[in-house]
Amino acid sequence: MAVIGLDCADPNLLEELLGGLPTFRELIGGGTFSRLASVDPPITVPAWMCMFTGRDPGELGVYGFRNRADYSYGGLAVASSASFGVPAVWDELGRRGKRSILLGVPGTYPPRPVRGLMVAGPLTPNGGTNFTYPASLKHRIATWVGDYIPDVRGFRTQDKGWLIERVRGMTEQRFSLARRLLREERWDLFVMVEMGPDRIHHGLWAHHDPHHSKHDPKSPFRDAIRDYYRFLDGKLAELLSELPGGTQVLVVSDHGVQGMEGGIGINEWLIQEGYLVLRRYPERPVRLGELVEAGLVDWSRTVAWGEGGYYGRVFLNLAGREPQGIVPPERYEEIRAELAARLAAIPDEAGRPIGTRVLRPEGLYRKVRGIPPDLIVYFGDLGWRSIGTVGWRNVHLRENDTGPDEANHSHHGIFIAYPKLDDRPERSILEVHDLILSVMGDG
Amino acid sequence: MGEKRAIEIAAEVVRAIEEHLPELSVGSVEEYVEAVLRERLLSEGFLSSYSPEEEKEVEQRLRDLGYLD
Repeated sequence: MAVIGLDCADPNLLEELLGGLPTFRELIGGGTFSRLASVDPPITVPAWMCMFTGRDPGELGVYGFRNRADYSYGGLAVASSASFGVPAVWDELGRRGKRSILLGVPGTYPPRPVRGLMVAGPLTPNGGTNFTYPASLKHRIATWVGDYIPDVRGFRTQDKGWLIERVRGMTEQRFSLARRLLREERWDLFVMVEMGPDRIHHGLWAHHDPHHSKHDPKSPFRDAIRDYYRFLDGKLAELLSELPGGTQVLVVSDHGVQGMEGGIGINEWLIQEGYLVLRRYPERPVRLGELVEAGLVDWSRTVAWGEGGYYGRVFLNLAGREPQGIVPPERYEEIRAELAARLAAIPDEAGRPIGTRVLRPEGLYRKVRGIPPDLIVYFGDLGWRSIGTVGWRNVHLRENDTGPDEANHSHHGIFIAYPKLDDRPERSILEVHDLILSVMGDG
Repeated sequence: MGEKRAIEIAAEVVRAIEEHLPELSVGSVEEYVEAVLRERLLSEGFLSSYSPEEEKEVEQRLRDLGYLD
């Protein structure tokens, strides 16, 4: 069985581009094509590991790329393979003697021993860090493809031509390595995840989408996404040609894509409304974490603070939980409900509703492990990002706080199975784990 | 990763690894033992997944990619 992951590949976009994608067309025409409902939040980490463990973010205790390691005010740690304390599908198959090749799966750094091979995912640090199991595999990779590229460096650029080349180079290398591994290694399960689609979407969405507020129909990059998918289609065809006859192929993604209108300054709003109190308002935009480290947050008067990113997270300063908590436990639900309602009602600059959704972890997940946010916020149902930096003197920002970014995630990715499995138009990302076990005769 | 130190472990464990190197996907006993111990220590929190410098670099990359701010 071969699982080819394309981070951020979107069902609507794929259908739009399908005419120029003969390989995808053949897979969809002769197979199953479903919308794949992602998890909450629909973010690369934890979504891919949710797919391969069958567990939701609450069960994994991983709610994003960074998670609170403790209840201190600065205790966010980058998720790693050690954050996922349950076996993935390849671990379960390994116990049954099946070998896996794992290439670039987000959430697998540092690599762990598997029955087979592992090349860690995009959170591999720069430099000569150990990123493979077995460790010696990295030397063979260097011989085959040179310096391995886990992810695009220098993404935040206005030089779109440069970015396109970097993304293509990464994709070319990953598919080249994948073909080599498929040819030279024994395997029962092959899993790869390519980050290129996500990076090209975030960097060039406005050039592609005529409905985007920044769209320029004369842009020289208006066909960049279309061209990338054609390139990807060719890479996919080459990869499929390496697979033995009868291989069950899945082409999947962790979430989809949608245009991003702008950002809501979550901490700016909390400051304006009196929920977050600073000892001194910064003269230029800075990360809240810097103000925390500098002792400039007045925790004795702060009710809540937020984290930014493609979605928002809100943490209440709860007495008995946070070091200087002030929200009385008996008022926690009341204050959380008040915050949820008010966050959901934040309009755009013109006062129009934007359709924000505010979610409570205990209502989303089968279990809630680790330290979840008290509220998960999808501004404009992810049509707006959450901006955590402060110093803007404005809640609404049309420019990203870290530079150009034109897309956000949407809630559905793709699921293609070839040969055909069934006719279901939609399924959950959490079903993929059991499906793999079932197809491999261990269901 | 750079410095290495010698340790002694039971011969039967070494033999079992040596007899199953292909199944374990490694080229040597040392490679396997180090990988298994590393995983165990990571899961116990006795080893860090990232050095402080690596974590900063990865956070900056995530910031550049829009996942953090």
